[in-house]
Amino acid sequence: MRKKETLWFYLLVFPWVFGFIILTLGPMLYSFFLSLTNWDLFTSPKFLGWDNYIRLFTKDKIFWKTVFNTLYYAFISVPLGMLFSLFITYFLNRPIKGSAIYRTLYYIPATVPGVASALLFKWLLAPDAGMINRFLAIFGVDGPAWLLEPDWVKPALILMSLWTVGANITLLMAGMKSIPAEFYEAAELDGASPIAQYYRITLPLLTPVIFFNLINGLIGALQVFTQIYIMTGTGGATMGGPNNASMMIVPYLFNNGFRFYKMGYASAIAWILFVLVMILTLLVFRSSSAWVYYETEVRRS
Amino acid sequence: MSKISRIEKFFTHLVLTGLGVLLAAPFMYMISMSLASDATTSKLTFTFIPGEFHFKNFIRVFTSNLNFGQFLLNSLTLVFFSMVGQVLVSSLVAYAFARLRAPGKEIIFIVLLSTMMIPTEVTLIPQFVLFTKLDWINTLLPLIVPNFFGGAYNIFLLRQFITRIPVELDEAAQIDGLNFFGIYVYIILPLIRPALVAVAIFTFVWNWGAFFGPLIYVNDVSKMPLALGVQILSATNSAGQIPPWNLVMVGALVLTVPMILVYFFGQRFMDQLSLSGGSAGIK
Repeated sequence: MRKKETLWFYLLVFPWVFGFIILTLGPMLYSFFLSLTNWDLFTSPKFLGWDNYIRLFTKDKIFWKTVFNTLYYAFISVPLGMLFSLFITYFLNRPIKGSAIYRTLYYIPATVPGVASALLFKWLLAPDAGMINRFLAIFGVDGPAWLLEPDWVKPALILMSLWTVGANITLLMAGMKSIPAEFYEAAELDGASPIAQYYRITLPLLTPVIFFNLINGLIGALQVFTQIYIMTGTGGATMGGPNNASMMIVPYLFNNGFRFYKMGYASAIAWILFVLVMILTLLVFRSSSAWVYYETEVRRS
Repeated sequence: MSKISRIEKFFTHLVLTGLGVLLAAPFMYMISMSLASDATTSKLTFTFIPGEFHFKNFIRVFTSNLNFGQFLLNSLTLVFFSMVGQVLVSSLVAYAFARLRAPGKEIIFIVLLSTMMIPTEVTLIPQFVLFTKLDWINTLLPLIVPNFFGGAYNIFLLRQFITRIPVELDEAAQIDGLNFFGIYVYIILPLIRPALVAVAIFTFVWNWGAFFGPLIYVNDVSKMPLALGVQILSATNSAGQIPPWNLVMVGALVLTVPMILVYFFGQRFMDQLSLSGGSAGIK
């Protein structure tokens, strides 16, 4: 009987195990091998050792710019989006009529597929005719050329990322629902103001949700691609402009691999991204004990 | 929560409405642009509140040589088969992890969970090589077939769901002579139907607007899903020439509306899901 069960188990998980070997494990090993070679996809790979990595770290100035841009984008857009979501959820959680309507209104932008929102924002951020600069002109502000200026292209992309805060809001609201009402009642008896309640009860109890969203947000932001491809330059080889001010890791990988057919070099970039994602994930996990507040700790103390 | 003062209520509404208008404005613009005439488009004089109502833009994209009908069909094909694959295979694997005992199960499960952290870029180039060797370039196969191996996230979700079902049901079925596959088909599948719908919804959301995969694997315009097709429409013009923004925005809307519908349908559904799954499990 036991033997039969084991057999069934392996039979049933076979599709996933097969997919894992063919599409994940095998490709990872092969990709690491490729990162040590020079390969144009057509001739056979030439083994180089660590040359690709050495070149990326010591000679490739665009790569460094790419890493800087990506970290800049991720570390500003993600925390800023979180602050914005927390700000909105404070008001959404006040006892008012129509809060469900507001919530829906805020969520709709998050449902817009990346291609659609990138195309829309490419136009909204246009220098003269774009909506954002026309809006600024009402207040007498002469808006920048956003996507066409090296200093403004990253802020423009960050601004755009704030449009999709709805996804965060939904998760934060769900987290808030699970906070026992007695906490607020007790606080009210003690005379705590709504803002004090938000800082002393809501925020600490929400930290696990905030923390989870921050990690996911960071990992997603490090892999940004669609916006760069569609909004900066005319797509493909010219993306990441102006002057590589918006070139990010994945677009750079794409250019090397699928435009210039430098498969070895592109694989090395992929592995650096992999390590970066892992380091960030571990860092956030390790630092979490300092500020994440789990409900179980309350019970224990 | 307690009542709040009128002034506070007014202030809350003021903030929420103000921000709401700001967030809705780009969407309004999308609608307005999609209804604009070609003349307005060439002069770039779009307005925030729709000034013209060229609803025929929505017909034009399907009847002209823009291929929209084909794009839509490709997207539906991609999404439909991806959903079938994820629902069938993820649930089968999840059942094995939730119910069957076997040596090595824990290790495989940990491997499964850790694959969720691997960024797709690391496997991208070898996968591209593999699909090239299989001669799957310019087909939807590289985008569909991986779904038939199940997804780690979906498997995890379904496993959690299945573990909530009382084991006595399996045991009773076993006594009645069902084998493990029979239990999956006749006991487990009917009881996890809500979770299966959730997996289908997630798969829809992940694949409907997919861009990176189609960009790499599909070069032939007639094979492209909608998201890539719309992007091509906005980029076919040489520098200095103005893209047909009105038609591009029609495309963006056609791409967006199903997502909004799925959200509305899905939200109501998910509420039910957590209601019935929250306490003991299944009702």
